[in-house]
Amino acid sequence: MIKYIIRRALQAIPVLLGISLVTYFILLIAPGGPTGRFAQNPNITAAQIEAFKRRWGLDQPIPIQYCRWLGVCGDKPFLINALPGGTFELAGLKIDLPGGDNGILHGDFGYSITDGRPVVDVIAERLPPTLILSGTAWVIWIIIAFLAGMYAAVRCYSLFDSALTIFNYVGFSLPTFWLGIVLIQLFSAPPLKWFPVGGMWTTRTVPPFGTERYWDFFWAQPFTALYDLGTHLVLPVVTLVVVNIAFDSRFVRASMLDALGQDFVKTARAKGVPERRVVFKHALRNAMLPVVTNIGLEIPFLFTGAVVTETIFSWPGMGREFINAVGHFDYPVLMGILLITSVFVVFANLLADVVYVIVDPRVKFD
Amino acid sequence: MSRLEAAQERRAEAGVPGSGPPQASDVLLEVRNLRTYFHVMDGTVRAVDGVDFKINRGGTLGLVGESGCGKSVTAHAIMRLIETPPGEIAEGEIWFDGRDLLTLSDEEMREIRGGDIAMIFQEPMTSLNPVFTVGDQISEAVRLHQKVSAREARDRAIESLRLVGLSAPERRVRQYPHELSGGMRQRVLIAMALSCSPKLLIADEPTTALDVTIQAQILELINDVQAQTGTALLLITHDLAVVAETVQTLAVMYAGRIVETGSVEEVLLNPRMPYTQGLLNSIPGEKKRGKALSAIEGVVPSPFRMPPGCKFQPRCPHQWERCTMEPDLLEVGRSERRARCWLQAPGEIERRRTYDLAAAATVRDVIG
Amino acid sequence: MDTTRATDLAGPESAGPAPDYEVGLVSLNQWQIAWRRFRRHKLAMFGAFLFLGIVAAAIALPFIWPFDFYTIPTPKPNCRIGCPPNPDNIFGTTGGLQRDVFTLVVNGARVSLAIGLGAALFGAIIGSIVGGVAGYFGGWVDNLLMRIVDALLSLPLLFVILVIARFLGSGNWLLIMVVFAAFGWPGVARLVRSLFLTLRNEVFVEAARAVGVSSTRIIFRHILPNAVSPIIVASTLAVAGVIVGEAFVSFLGFGVDVTTPTWATPSRTR
Repeated sequence: MIKYIIRRALQAIPVLLGISLVTYFILLIAPGGPTGRFAQNPNITAAQIEAFKRRWGLDQPIPIQYCRWLGVCGDKPFLINALPGGTFELAGLKIDLPGGDNGILHGDFGYSITDGRPVVDVIAERLPPTLILSGTAWVIWIIIAFLAGMYAAVRCYSLFDSALTIFNYVGFSLPTFWLGIVLIQLFSAPPLKWFPVGGMWTTRTVPPFGTERYWDFFWAQPFTALYDLGTHLVLPVVTLVVVNIAFDSRFVRASMLDALGQDFVKTARAKGVPERRVVFKHALRNAMLPVVTNIGLEIPFLFTGAVVTETIFSWPGMGREFINAVGHFDYPVLMGILLITSVFVVFANLLADVVYVIVDPRVKFD
Repeated sequence: MSRLEAAQERRAEAGVPGSGPPQASDVLLEVRNLRTYFHVMDGTVRAVDGVDFKINRGGTLGLVGESGCGKSVTAHAIMRLIETPPGEIAEGEIWFDGRDLLTLSDEEMREIRGGDIAMIFQEPMTSLNPVFTVGDQISEAVRLHQKVSAREARDRAIESLRLVGLSAPERRVRQYPHELSGGMRQRVLIAMALSCSPKLLIADEPTTALDVTIQAQILELINDVQAQTGTALLLITHDLAVVAETVQTLAVMYAGRIVETGSVEEVLLNPRMPYTQGLLNSIPGEKKRGKALSAIEGVVPSPFRMPPGCKFQPRCPHQWERCTMEPDLLEVGRSERRARCWLQAPGEIERRRTYDLAAAATVRDVIG
Repeated sequence: MDTTRATDLAGPESAGPAPDYEVGLVSLNQWQIAWRRFRRHKLAMFGAFLFLGIVAAAIALPFIWPFDFYTIPTPKPNCRIGCPPNPDNIFGTTGGLQRDVFTLVVNGARVSLAIGLGAALFGAIIGSIVGGVAGYFGGWVDNLLMRIVDALLSLPLLFVILVIARFLGSGNWLLIMVVFAAFGWPGVARLVRSLFLTLRNEVFVEAARAVGVSSTRIIFRHILPNAVSPIIVASTLAVAGVIVGEAFVSFLGFGVDVTTPTWATPSRTR
């Protein structure tokens, strides 16, 4: 078991390298590249640009640039540079670490072109809102998809099953930008005006989310803060849930039907297992196996799937930040977001695999 | 089930004789006029179309026939495990231990399944749930039908595994199905079936999916436990060699009907219906060494285009005009010996003689 | 139920002039059987007609209702945020320039369908080849190809497409199609690989190998035909997925150039 996990973790290393290559490719195709911002500036001479390139190693061959960007190559010798570096204080002791301190391995993703802030700070600010929105939607739609898919499988070809099929077809074809705008038109516009049009907090009454003032406000009036957040969450969450139930409920239904058609279900019925238990114990446990993998594969969504929804509802998350960055060719931010989300995804898949071997006794570890 | 209920009501109103529990107290199971249909896209398949038989307490009955003749469906109908829709038990009575199973509530039926009637299936490889241990699956059966603690159920599971001859049963209970071979899994399924001491054991092609060497072991095991525990046995198979060694009485099915019944010796040594003769003829025998094996001509009729009259008529070497009318199960000599064939009708002496000669030759060839 | 199995083989067509009580004596090839089943499936027939209708409309209708980006309709006074459907514009008009939505939909169908079908087709082809090779050969080939697939699947697809469309794109729809195909194949590859892993151990493959059939031929003539239906299902869903994906990218302003109408155009023309 432990061996299996270690092997899977080792397999993740080439995957991470591949991701970094694709991400680095984006830097290469970025129009203008790192020196692009000097192109329009009459005060900067060609010699100055050359000096800038030399200073940042941009005159080196691309593989070396890539290696430096990764943080494996650098001022220190090859590979030593990849180790953790810098000076730390731990319990009053000053510790000097031998490794390098720049490059993405050391959490150095560079600085945003638009506002000069470290990319890590930008992401740290934008990640929580995205997780709140997508996470809430994800949990809700998984639960609904499970219940609906299982019920449809048990009552196969019933009225409910047909209704779910139709709903799924509609949901599958609905683009989020359409549904989101329609929901705003219906529930945020007059006459109903039940929910705010967009944003994550009411600007007049609540301080910006994530700031110190917000948390002061939050601890002072937790219910008001949560209520405010809740009302802003409703419409985007509904949008995401409606659109995403479709696939998962079909998947649950299909694997549940498959499980219910297996011989061991007949055996269970033949030994007098009550129908409820046939469904919830014997069939569900087997139907779970493909579903677990599928849920694992959906985790990328938690970071990225809400791009359009965030844009429509002006949700200050990663998706909207990404769209802004794309618009401004802010490639350090783009690369940072791509890399960090992909790394999360790799670990999420690893987790799903580990869960899979726990729930399926047939998987052999060696 | 509405059609079944209507039929039950009609019968009750008309006071049809034969309704009601069997008179003789030693009859454990009596199936009367069972009809099971499947409604599929192209029409209705009458998989079981008027089947009657009985099994005495501790008795054994073999139900044989080609694939698709309705023997498995009969077994599933007794367990009320027909998927509805598309299936439907359209008519009939299944008297078990004084009760008509078709009138029981789902809950009452559930208590009978696995408790009084247990069933083992054809596919040992897939009939055990892959995600639970063998012990869990057997103890589940025990705890569903008896008020015992988890520990006692576990002990019972070990006990029944020992009964079916698995080595180291204490270790087996902790294993998962994929760790066992096909023969071992079939033993586990038998152990599970026997764990609640059923009055009737239904074995649906229990050896078909197994290696020949394992087949013999499993049959011997079924024989042994049947004799030891005194449970009645309904054995379903397409293999005459299997029934010859295992059961006392035999019912041959063809196209949803029983076409011949009687004791094993009589049916096999003196088949009264050309279909049974054909089945026997297709068994390789000592005397037939060097000759080509003879199969029955043609194939089973399509369920959507049944021939009129005798269903075996298009394939029957002895058929004549009378066969376009449906024959009844005619009594042959003594009681409990029946054949659904016009050859056995009074007055068909000439034809019967021709057939008897052919049948005798077949039996000689096969059994010697 | 062993009794229902004969259903698909003995349809009414196989009844010859003489009464025939036997099952499945008329043999049909794979495509005939598929076509016969398909014809009986009402929903499938409905879907096929709908789809063919849309394709026909995409080909024919632009000749009747042509779209020209530089022709700006005469504005109506109270339609500044778009008009509801009316006799002149049966789908209504967009806000801003008040373009006729019906004309946009009719003309957008060509590009949207081309992007969807093209990307799904190329994705299916690349994915089948990569997945087939990985699943059939196994070992280090499988390991290498699957790590590439893993890496591409871990990247947030929509993000990458947005970036590439923005950095390389000049609103050319062919580029959008290529990008969707280039990042859509890993899913197919993973599916095909898992199908091949099961199929390569089947007896008929062993039989083919035993009589000396070459690897290429086994992959394409023996295994692939048996893996076709899941691939078709996945690709069909991918067509819809890509069309909606293109709409997302274009809605966000980084997709196909506004002068070329697609199904996303009504959502962004102001």
